[in-house]
Amino acid sequence: MRLRDVVIGANASIFYRLDFSKIKDVFYPHTEEEAEQAIRFARERSLRITVKGGGSGLSGACTGGNDERIVISTLWLNKILRIDPQGGYIDVQPGLTPDLINEALKPYGMKFYVAPSSRDVATVGGILSTDGGGNDTWVNGTMRDNTLRVRMILYDGRKITVTREGVESEDEELAEELNRLRVTLDDVASSHGTLGFVTELRLQIRPLSEESVVGGVAHFDDATQLGQAIHRMIEARSPIKYGEAIVAAHPDVREDLRPPLITLQFPGDYADDLREILDIELLPDEQVDRMKDIRIKLPKRNPKQGIQLALFEGYGLHGRSLLNMQATVDAINELLESHRYTPFAKYGHAPSKWYLGDNTAAYGMVMHSREIRPEHTTREEVLNTILDIVDLCEKLGVTPKPEHKWPFSDTVKLNRLREIRRVVGGGFNDFLLRDDYREVLRSMV
Amino acid sequence: MSYDRCVRCGSCMRFCPLFEAREEEQWTPRAKTYLLQVMDMIEADEELGKEFRRLLFQCAMCGRCEEVCSSDVDLLEIWHEQRAKARKEAPREFQYLDALRRAIANVKNIYGLDPEDRAVFWMDEIEDDVPDIEERVYAPGKRAEVMVFLGCLMSFRASQLDVVRALFKSLERTGTDYLVMGAEEFCCGHPLHLMGDDEGAEELRTHNKSVIEDAGAKYVITCCPGCLIQLRQYHNIQNAEVLHHTQFFDRVLDNPPKYRSETEYPYHDPCELHRISGVKKEPRSLMTKLGVNFREMDLSCCGGGGLLRMTDPDLSEKIMEVRKRKERLESETVLTCCPSCREQFLAAGIDTKDIVEILDEAFEQEELKE
Repeated sequence: MRLRDVVIGANASIFYRLDFSKIKDVFYPHTEEEAEQAIRFARERSLRITVKGGGSGLSGACTGGNDERIVISTLWLNKILRIDPQGGYIDVQPGLTPDLINEALKPYGMKFYVAPSSRDVATVGGILSTDGGGNDTWVNGTMRDNTLRVRMILYDGRKITVTREGVESEDEELAEELNRLRVTLDDVASSHGTLGFVTELRLQIRPLSEESVVGGVAHFDDATQLGQAIHRMIEARSPIKYGEAIVAAHPDVREDLRPPLITLQFPGDYADDLREILDIELLPDEQVDRMKDIRIKLPKRNPKQGIQLALFEGYGLHGRSLLNMQATVDAINELLESHRYTPFAKYGHAPSKWYLGDNTAAYGMVMHSREIRPEHTTREEVLNTILDIVDLCEKLGVTPKPEHKWPFSDTVKLNRLREIRRVVGGGFNDFLLRDDYREVLRSMV
Repeated sequence: MSYDRCVRCGSCMRFCPLFEAREEEQWTPRAKTYLLQVMDMIEADEELGKEFRRLLFQCAMCGRCEEVCSSDVDLLEIWHEQRAKARKEAPREFQYLDALRRAIANVKNIYGLDPEDRAVFWMDEIEDDVPDIEERVYAPGKRAEVMVFLGCLMSFRASQLDVVRALFKSLERTGTDYLVMGAEEFCCGHPLHLMGDDEGAEELRTHNKSVIEDAGAKYVITCCPGCLIQLRQYHNIQNAEVLHHTQFFDRVLDNPPKYRSETEYPYHDPCELHRISGVKKEPRSLMTKLGVNFREMDLSCCGGGGLLRMTDPDLSEKIMEVRKRKERLESETVLTCCPSCREQFLAAGIDTKDIVEILDEAFEQEELKE
């Protein structure tokens, strides 16, 4: 065992205590050919493959679980291959971040409109694997909505190109089979690296918006009022360009904010219409920027005493769980407290959009949650808390966002991936699809 | 254990010069805090422990990771603590640092040279320009408003002579009442601090403090950002303000002569100056007052900090190589204000000047005009 094998386990999820002896090698390819060599290396030794981008995701998929495996990092597959402003796309390798892509697009007056809060470190390959998005998914969609095609290498070395319409491959039989299953980009999105290695993405780009926006904040007496306001914005198809709600925040990090609140940016001429929905107080740009800054740092900040963690991020509040948000939040907090966690912060994108396992879109608020970790807690207790949260979400009608939860408690998506893997084969992140995932989880908490 | 506060988000990775040079995750700050978080799982493996201890000393301590960290992790403090712990745990692995420690202990400078040479090494070279320089060397009983703390590099390295000359000429031209510590200057202790040996640095600090206070200095000025950190934060000097030379000249010169040159200089801001000591405004203000045409370089490390030139010279060199290529510095003259950074640029074949050399040239140009 070498340090390079150990540190590849570093990731932002709570699943980070790996059995390092199972990591047989780590690869940092710079080219597609080098990636192919790494895949061949694994295949010849019957090792599983886990692909890792920035390691900023919270699902733990980039850990590879407990399988004997190699890890391929995409961090140096970070080249821009082609920019076609007229065609409205950019071809990139998977290890680039949205920030770097947008830096390169600036001279062209174009932008890639996917902006998760981890956009400085999350790679586009990883974001597609989790179907991530940011505070503007409501207007700009998630990663899948902004991806036009991907090239992938399968475990057996065959290559496929997946678009919104279907699959192409030099192996006609393979393409035919996958097209019979109607495989599209929707399947690659949120597949958590279980299908193959993405070597190239064609991403949709659009002109930099010159539309001027104004910003402001609305405060609420409780979370239910906030949830109902979000619901009304969704109903009204409000042209919100940036929307972030803070439901609750610990005094150590909330500065002078008074949650529940929502910070919004929208076209100036929409202000009167928006006032019909909520009581928005317009703010100067610098104050809006300050609020955005406080929000973007919330996931990373710690209380003065103790340490925060994300047990279960991405509570997808929609329908009744959104309309009764205070009851939803109270129930979650009650559960957390019963497990000795202190609620630290609840915040997230709103209005927002995400996809369910059957590829239908859900609209509401993606609420992130951070808790202060109790001292002297066992792995068993941590895992039990997570599983209790999963059950509670089921009862409350909260749909965990695939980007953040352990991915395949969504049985629709799980079955679909199993179906596709019967054609493309396994080899990549197999652990995510096995029934013993709870045991694997427990070992890594 | 503040490394526990790291949420492993990875924001520090892409800013880390080591990662850029070595291209693997183990070089990143996140990897190091992660290793500390899972240490209980790997500490039984002796080889891994050894590799980790070595890794701790393969860092330029530039502090950029701490600057971008939103989780309030005191990364520099962690690296210091862990370096001290590593040396204590496995002294044999760090025997290669003993020569440096012995030199500092015995002759109070990093080069193991006769301490008397501090006062004479550069003096002959600048006597023509500053005829009274010998009188400016501190001896017990002498007093001055300003005490110059040259530091080991400036005192002993021939490559720094032009800066030393420009410094003293500029002090003379500004009519400053100054002394230079000369043979009474001990190493500031920064190298010991960087290896986690603050105990060893204590004797040096006590001596320097007493000399500075005996001279009744109101200001201590130094060109070396490493010395600046030590003098400011660890020497506990009473009744004197410690300033970087750019701060001093920016303060005393409201209207310096204009520097006439068509050249656009890339400006490298030393990490230990702007990031660790928070001195950002004054070097730029001084250059602006002088009318220097400068452009900002990336605020990244030159690879010369954290003892890296000693603990892993190849890596130190590689960091500079990457920068040279990325920022296309081959035919440039880089402006900076740190002797250690200058050494790095010079070693990579890149011309460099300290801001005080520009100041000196501006004075010269004005005199010629008159």
